[in-house]
Amino acid sequence: MTTSSTQTRKALSKIAQLRLQKELEEWHDPPVGFKHKVSDNLQRWTIEVSGAPGTLYANETYQLQVDFPEHYPMEAPQVIFVPPAPAHPHIYSNGHICLDILYDSWSPAMTVSSICISILSMLSSSTSKQRPPDNDLYVNKCRNGRSPKETRWWFHDDKV
Amino acid sequence: MAEEDEILMEVEAVEAVYGDDCIVLNRFPPHLHLHLKPRTADVDSQQFVEATIELRAGPQYPSDPPYVGIIGSKGLDEERQMHLSNSLHDKAQELTSCLMLVALCEDAVEILTSMNHPEGDCPLCLYPLVPEDSHSEVQPFMKLMSCFHCFHCECIVRWLTWIQKQNEASSGTSNTLSSDVDEENVLASGKLYLRKIMGSTAGNCPVCRKVFLAKDIEHVLNLVGSHNADSDVYEKELVEKVLQCDLETTRRQEFEAILKLQQQCGGLIEPPKNNVLYSRISVQDLVREANEMMNVEASEQQHTNQIVREEPESSSSSNQASRRACDARTRHRRGHTGIAEPASGVPPTGSTSGHRRHSGTRKHGKNQSRWQAKPCPKE
Ligand SMILES: [Zn+2]
Ligand SMILES: [Zn+2]
Repeated sequence: MTTSSTQTRKALSKIAQLRLQKELEEWHDPPVGFKHKVSDNLQRWTIEVSGAPGTLYANETYQLQVDFPEHYPMEAPQVIFVPPAPAHPHIYSNGHICLDILYDSWSPAMTVSSICISILSMLSSSTSKQRPPDNDLYVNKCRNGRSPKETRWWFHDDKV
Repeated sequence: MAEEDEILMEVEAVEAVYGDDCIVLNRFPPHLHLHLKPRTADVDSQQFVEATIELRAGPQYPSDPPYVGIIGSKGLDEERQMHLSNSLHDKAQELTSCLMLVALCEDAVEILTSMNHPEGDCPLCLYPLVPEDSHSEVQPFMKLMSCFHCFHCECIVRWLTWIQKQNEASSGTSNTLSSDVDEENVLASGKLYLRKIMGSTAGNCPVCRKVFLAKDIEHVLNLVGSHNADSDVYEKELVEKVLQCDLETTRRQEFEAILKLQQQCGGLIEPPKNNVLYSRISVQDLVREANEMMNVEASEQQHTNQIVREEPESSSSSNQASRRACDARTRHRRGHTGIAEPASGVPPTGSTSGHRRHSGTRKHGKNQSRWQAKPCPKE
């Protein structure tokens, strides 16, 4: 846990920098519903999300915080909602998002844009503004500030 | 009726020209599927596009022009597909009341030939595959044979090396990550590792997730080395090895020769904006060369090549994904529609949006851990 949190703080590799500069350029024309909050920190982006019209989150805005690891895009970025996070069955109140492409289904051909679109589509398809059933337990476990990528998810091996 | 005979002969002519690439669904009125490739694509690695078109004539053909449609393609984004289908449609109108099946096919081949270059950006670094201005350095790129997605060699090799490292770390069975492995050991351990995964799936295209063969990677890795940390120096070496391999040298020479010939003949392909596509390399080439090097039985090689070659024909579904993904403009739609499909048999829970949440496998470095099938995390 400690090691990986140092890892996330490691400076971006040259390759990651080049790639992010390219993505940043494309954000001059951001996907619908998103706004990149300009800062000079290439390694942490803050993105404003507006709930899509006609969905449970219409007229609401939230902040996504995207932190890039040294070896982005080989490794997925860490993406969380800055609390208050939208109430959603797959979003914990501490902002952690349970979405496969952020973890095991990540592919280096994905981009910040494609992640954002997925998150918005996840919000849009929601039919109830509810927290995950294990929200309190999980959030409590994360009090020391660990990243969702560092979380030791309840695990069972192949035999179980 | 004489006209019907003529039409039947026309169908035979198309069959004669296109052989196995022509499927006759009906002789009269003619209904054909044609699998068409660029004229310059006798060498697989020089083929970046292909299309399957449908020609369906009505009883009034040729007074009524046939329906022309694209039923599958690779390497063509929506814009280029549109160009192909519009051109063919116009041509059919223009040739109304002439027997036009052969002419339409030839036209399609001509158009494919003019479009036979990869377009857009490398999906991994997002920089153009072929530089837009002639001053920039041209980076070598390669194509996955199964889906025609193209990547800079450097980018795909970096990624293959990365996933290999991840796999080793998470399986905990390998000690090959130490930095002082000598060249021979690197190759040996790389083969050992790959032998383990041989026969199972080897890798997925980062764009469409279509599986490519273990053998493909094995030989890529054999040529470029496979291990070690990701220092810049090491990556540079990898790329240099790719560039220096005999195959790449031959490829460049061949391509330049072909290009010269084409220019002399009035230019079948004019690369866009005077850029010369002189360096590229495909997995299949690497397979072929490595097979020769390793003296693998000819039959086995045949087998590999056949598998690789047959795949393009069977994939109108990958076509959709590649169409979506190839177009840089629609990249932001990709995450959800193009890529996020379940990799395991675990069905998505909670919603119908197709994402997998609270399910599946999750690996991070040495922390081998899993999402559980039901609500998320615990200790
Ligand atoms: Zn690239
Ligand atoms: Zn692909």
